[in-house]
Amino acid sequence: MSREIRNYLARSLGFFVVLELMLVAAIIWWPSFAENVGALKRLAAPVPMLGDMLTSIEKIGVSAYVTAQHYFKGCNTLGAAAAVLLAMSAIAGEAHRGTLESWMARPVSRTRLLTERFVGGYLALALPIFLTSFTIPWLLTYVDERMPFSDLVRCAVHESLFLGSIYSITFLLSAMGSQPLRIAFVMLFFSIFQFAIYMVKEITHYSLFRLADIETFIEITTKNRLDWSQDAPLVATSVACYGVSLWAFRRRVP
Amino acid sequence: MKGRGATENGSPGDGRIVTRGVARRFGDKLALAPASVEIGPGGITGLLGPNGSGKSTFMRVLTGLVAPDAGSARVDGVELAGDGTAIRRRATYSPGELHMYAEMRADEHLQWLLRGRGAGALARATELARELGLPMRKRVRGYSHGMKRQLLFAAALAPRVRVRILDEPTEGLDPSLRGRVLDLLREDAAAGTTILLSSHHLGEVDRACDRMIFMNEGRMIADESASAVTARAARLVRLEWPGGSDLERIERSLAMPGVKSVVRTGTRLSVLLQEPDARPFLAALTQLDRLPAPASIEHGKLSLHELYRDLYGVEGC
Repeated sequence: MSREIRNYLARSLGFFVVLELMLVAAIIWWPSFAENVGALKRLAAPVPMLGDMLTSIEKIGVSAYVTAQHYFKGCNTLGAAAAVLLAMSAIAGEAHRGTLESWMARPVSRTRLLTERFVGGYLALALPIFLTSFTIPWLLTYVDERMPFSDLVRCAVHESLFLGSIYSITFLLSAMGSQPLRIAFVMLFFSIFQFAIYMVKEITHYSLFRLADIETFIEITTKNRLDWSQDAPLVATSVACYGVSLWAFRRRVP
Repeated sequence: MKGRGATENGSPGDGRIVTRGVARRFGDKLALAPASVEIGPGGITGLLGPNGSGKSTFMRVLTGLVAPDAGSARVDGVELAGDGTAIRRRATYSPGELHMYAEMRADEHLQWLLRGRGAGALARATELARELGLPMRKRVRGYSHGMKRQLLFAAALAPRVRVRILDEPTEGLDPSLRGRVLDLLREDAAAGTTILLSSHHLGEVDRACDRMIFMNEGRMIADESASAVTARAARLVRLEWPGGSDLERIERSLAMPGVKSVVRTGTRLSVLLQEPDARPFLAALTQLDRLPAPASIEHGKLSLHELYRDLYGVEGC
């Protein structure tokens, strides 16, 4: 097994384990949450966005709770960090370590080198989201609840596309830069800032996390389809970032 | 090590490196002035010059790692196009910068370095690395600088190709290993491989190379056979006078029959004779009236470094 595949597998496994542990904890807590949702709403009163979320969960039930806990909370926060960590060193890491020339000096085209890195990281990010989603129906049986598998697949697709666009933007910066830590700080600051403004009701609509919040997932699960007016731009962002990364990498001097 | 024509690429190339006005600039800095050169087939050509003289840029351009701003290049019959993958399939390249993945074992690193190479390259590289005494199961982080250099060298020498481009392949090696590496390169060149190597170690270059290309400030300032360089060395007399001597007057006095040129550098005068026999010149020197005695006289055994400094005024190589 090559070094790169091993690295991606290790990171992907780490992301999966943490996501799954959070998911297990969230599902085990569901009966207690359902009983105390009224009290929680009173506690969340100072943060209207949280209050709205709790109202949705109270109204819709376990599917809203699961999407809020797993996709909005778990995947969005951990996933944004994972996306940045997976992409920041893709090219910039080689330049920073001084191995860029050796990496490019082998008889392998730059298109192939870059595509392997891009796809490898993307899969390492998306696979845990799908795998953890696939465990949800089984975990829900422990709390006597059910959720359609197809809804979870759609939610996983949407979440992967959302995190994929964060990954792709970071990858683009990595293809053009040589300081992975600086890239990571920029992207993590950007993500935290976006999450922070999401929580402020007056400006929440400016936040990119609106694209992957509880309302989005409730819509996916109630309409039983993906909203391509949201997903198409996410796909386009990833494709565009990949294209520009390739353009930059082809011109890159080791 | 390998026979002519038995390359891993199937189709036989011409084993030559040909450039026509190939040039590269980084911002305002001219990294490589338009360079036209033909190297090979066969033989070892040394690329010499001080740091920043354009040697590595030239090698990177040849292998497609740096796109030229102008001109064209062909390696082993393949035109430089795109990202140069086609050329890198037909030629091995060993970078001068020595950065490796410390967490990998040597055998894994060889495998990584030889990705895209033909079957058997890894086995040959492993065998060569073992011959050089490298522990293959050890992680690269435990390797010394010289061991890492040898590992890169093994990876560059193993594939069956007709052209090898090696950026400072002996840098950081002790004299005995340097000799071993040069012996292997000579064996390879004797089998018909064209080798272009750069080096700061001038003593090894004049020992190993058939031809020398000297670069300075991005320009190829000299391209001579090793024998021509040796012959020029034999015609060079280096004279040094104590500080305070009237060197202008001395320089004028040295313009005598049999002297081709005189170059002054500090308190030193380098005299290029028309013939390698310096005795007539030295005899004439003693006859010159009121000329102060030189502090030192050197003839015939100058290093390449001094030779080029004296002939081309290039310092620091």
